[in-house]
Amino acid sequence: MKFRIFRAADKDAGGPADPTEAPRMGGAVLPAATTETRDGSMLEAGPSNDGPPALAPTLTAPRPLHAGGGPTGPTKIAARDVSVFYGAKQALFDVSLDIPDKTVTSLIGPSGCGKSTFLRTMNRMNDTIPGAKVTGRIEMDGEDVNDRSVDPVLLRARVGMVFQKPNPFPKTIYENVAYGPRIHGLASGKAELDAVVEASLKRAGLWEEVVDRLHSPGTGLSGGQQQRLVIARAIAIEPEVILMDEPCSALDPIATAKIEELIDELRERYCIVIVTHSMAQAARVSQRTAFFHLGRLVETGDTEEIFTNPRERRTLDYITGRFG
Amino acid sequence: MTDAPKLMGDGPRAPRVDRLRAGLKRRYAREFRFRLYGLLAIGLAVGFLLLLLGRIFEQGHTAFVTNEMTVPVYMDPARVDRAYPHGTNFEQLVAEQQLRRFGIQDDATGTAAAEMRQLFSSELRFKAADRVAAEPGLIGQTVTIAAPVADNADLYFKGEITLATPADQRLLSDRQIAWLDRMKAEGAVRAHFNTALFTRGDSTEPEQAGLLGAVIGSALMLLVTAVIAIPLGVGAAVYLEEFAPKGRLTDLIEVNINNLAAVPSIIYGLLGLMLFINWMQLPRASPLVGGLVLALMALPTIIIATRSSLKAVPPSIREAALALGASKTQTVFQHTLPLAMPGVMTGAIISMAHALGETAPLLLIGMVNFVPGIPHGFGEPTGALPSLIYIWENASERAFHERTAAAILVLLAFMIVMNAAAILLRRHFERRW
Repeated sequence: MKFRIFRAADKDAGGPADPTEAPRMGGAVLPAATTETRDGSMLEAGPSNDGPPALAPTLTAPRPLHAGGGPTGPTKIAARDVSVFYGAKQALFDVSLDIPDKTVTSLIGPSGCGKSTFLRTMNRMNDTIPGAKVTGRIEMDGEDVNDRSVDPVLLRARVGMVFQKPNPFPKTIYENVAYGPRIHGLASGKAELDAVVEASLKRAGLWEEVVDRLHSPGTGLSGGQQQRLVIARAIAIEPEVILMDEPCSALDPIATAKIEELIDELRERYCIVIVTHSMAQAARVSQRTAFFHLGRLVETGDTEEIFTNPRERRTLDYITGRFG
Repeated sequence: MTDAPKLMGDGPRAPRVDRLRAGLKRRYAREFRFRLYGLLAIGLAVGFLLLLLGRIFEQGHTAFVTNEMTVPVYMDPARVDRAYPHGTNFEQLVAEQQLRRFGIQDDATGTAAAEMRQLFSSELRFKAADRVAAEPGLIGQTVTIAAPVADNADLYFKGEITLATPADQRLLSDRQIAWLDRMKAEGAVRAHFNTALFTRGDSTEPEQAGLLGAVIGSALMLLVTAVIAIPLGVGAAVYLEEFAPKGRLTDLIEVNINNLAAVPSIIYGLLGLMLFINWMQLPRASPLVGGLVLALMALPTIIIATRSSLKAVPPSIREAALALGASKTQTVFQHTLPLAMPGVMTGAIISMAHALGETAPLLLIGMVNFVPGIPHGFGEPTGALPSLIYIWENASERAFHERTAAAILVLLAFMIVMNAAAILLRRHFERRW
């Protein structure tokens, strides 16, 4: 899409690489090669000018300085003293965290540290687990999502989610993407639905690969394609927030690079929260990072800050691989 | 780890390799034995099945053929009742005429005529009477009439009774056998497909008895069962599995459903008798009551099968739908249930096949009575295939025995057709994912 051309042209012109990326590349955690792979795959994917017109203004807008800087948007979600209990067991202890809009926030930490649990409080997916109880406030645009007046169905239409394992419905690619808009009545008529499906698949970078087999099963795609299909399905209902629970842990490096590129593009429009086990991934895709350990939020800050100059000893130990 | 490369070498590690090799041999031998047991078990099962089917087929295949006799009937004006032809004793008339033709002098008590009469089915009387009633001008003329031979004569022609059969084990005298041989030699006897078996209801006369009433009765009953048990069972399972709050009450219900599946079927018959016939005053022995009883019996099986196939749907699909903002109902009916459908269908098929073959509860709601008619509705008394098999097996006439086997074959065919249809239906659901 246009965004890609911008990046590619920038490189072709022989100009310096995006200056904001320099600190990240210089960081001890991040091998420079990964960034190259990512750029390489971007070029392979090929530039295309046929992005949906509706998206064009956002995508052609100058890319804000982000990677080294602070949050680029106002606070979208504000968590205050959030605790989660599964039966008698407490999984999350008094987590308070601000999540800015139009930014990728990554949640990192060792297994079982509560990062996925925290993610699932934001669209109330914990409601589906028997015995789960959430205390504290999670405000989205100033409204507590756990309030009685908030319908979880409506909340989930505003907060999309992508899971660890690609979980397309065993239906056609088209049906997968069309399902959300259909149940929410977001598209009137076949033509409009077709347009939504096309725009979503294009935005997820999957359109070219599936355009001639929209009506074959979504489960027949490769793992990486399935994950992008699931992302297309999530953005088809135009959510405000996208939660991603280790979206790349079941994918190979090339598919991972594509998803990361996609996340970077989606940041322009959405508030994205991603749980990841890969610190390199957190460094690559996110602007804000929150480190969880044993159910507690240990440290939060700009990604660059966390990875280069963490305040807490535990954070340093974790990101340098001393545990976890 | 460090040993791994040495396994291949022939250094000091060689004895170890030999031990591994010996162990491997034992492992392969064990696997071979296990496969052998499997083959033996399957062979045994298939063998017994073939034995059973072979035996039933051997007994039953003769019932699909019947012998018909064509006899000349002189419509004696002195004997035929003009006003009411069906009141005429045509068997006696024909018997006397046959004796005359054969040149046999009867004794004073008419023993020979009585014996001759036993060779004709009572159907001869109806056919002759029908002819006269339709065309009174036939009186005084000779008409040839084709009618089935009596059951024992039929057995003789099929070779099941011979002259060698001890006289106390056959209901035909030597004289009767000689007459039958003579008629056969004259070309009056012809074997043909036993259409009566498939076009008539039950009868006390084996040669006139048919399965149609029971087949229709079973079909109507099964229809009632399917219409009631499948939606109710699937609905209950969906509610219990997806919507009901998990707690002591649902646990109790689950335990009870599992127990109900193990309740002897005759208890369901008692329940049906009490509930549907005594209390609700529904017609006895009707497909409606039979279907209701079988539906009660099929419910637990369907509920259990549906619940387990709902449980088997991957939670990721549920999560996907819920995270997209689908409501609970949408998630269940648009994703979970369609994915569970093949399993649901399997449960339904098994319980329907079970219901089709069930006999004990039918005994208690009056379905073992003799019902000669063919049912035309859900409220009429009817038989069912399994209960007809029971009745025929208990009949004293020897000719019913081959018909019992034939009825079993028909029941099996019914079941196979039904299962095949259900499997096709299931395939259809599977293809829709």
